[in-house]
Amino acid sequence: MTPDNFFLLATLLFSIGLIGVVSRRNLFVVYMSIELMLSAINLVLATFSRLHGDMHGSVMVLLIIAVIAAEAALFLAMVVHLYRLKRTVDSDDFNTLAQTKEEI
Amino acid sequence: MLENSLFGILALFLLGGSLGMIFFTQTLFSAISFMFAMLALAGMFALLENSFLFLAQIMVSVGAVVVLSMLVIVSVNLKASNLPHESAKGRWIIFSALLVTPLAMLIYKALAHTHTLFEKTDEGYGSLKMMGATLFSDWVLPFEIVSVLLLAAMVGAIMIGRKEKRHDT
Repeated sequence: MTPDNFFLLATLLFSIGLIGVVSRRNLFVVYMSIELMLSAINLVLATFSRLHGDMHGSVMVLLIIAVIAAEAALFLAMVVHLYRLKRTVDSDDFNTLAQTKEEI
Repeated sequence: MLENSLFGILALFLLGGSLGMIFFTQTLFSAISFMFAMLALAGMFALLENSFLFLAQIMVSVGAVVVLSMLVIVSVNLKASNLPHESAKGRWIIFSALLVTPLAMLIYKALAHTHTLFEKTDEGYGSLKMMGATLFSDWVLPFEIVSVLLLAAMVGAIMIGRKEKRHDT
């Protein structure tokens, strides 16, 4: 159990989260992938905090956990709202801003 | 020795949970494997001798966030026919994995080899007392900003999530 193991694990988690955001179209999976990326950052910060032996990194992790909670509330409300509008959670269907005036 | 085997088991759960999350088609199965990943991450915080973060991760991330998303997934109640039609999901995942690999190698190169071993920590590291002392001395302003952010998120979630009312008359 060396610091490099933790860093490798955090890197893999971040990559899996990024792959999920890029390749999946289900909005819930996209949301959980974003959370996974934030959690990977948490793991890196906690590892550095343990390495240096001071609590500043851990406090940052605590604040990021609070931000994750806020993000979860907003994102889930947004998904429910979008589902009520179009009866789907496919992210490809929500492209109104990408359309030109004629397409709408 | 015990720590190494614990690390292995937790890493297995963490990676398996997150891989399951992006591979499952059913959304609820994704959420359940995501919950396993978050629980394993809490175990990682415990391995890093950070008891307060372990508690916060279990209470907030697992207890609140994942359970909330599960509730929303259940209440939205997607049928299999309503799910996004992702026929080439595996190919997309492999393709984006190829794209992400250089970035992952870059991140790992930047992070690794800064230290080779964990040293023994000081007395009181990771305790609630040290955490509170740091949080309320050096980090008061970010703490207050986060509290305002949580309030704004709560109001925003209510505003976004409520049903639209017709403005009659």
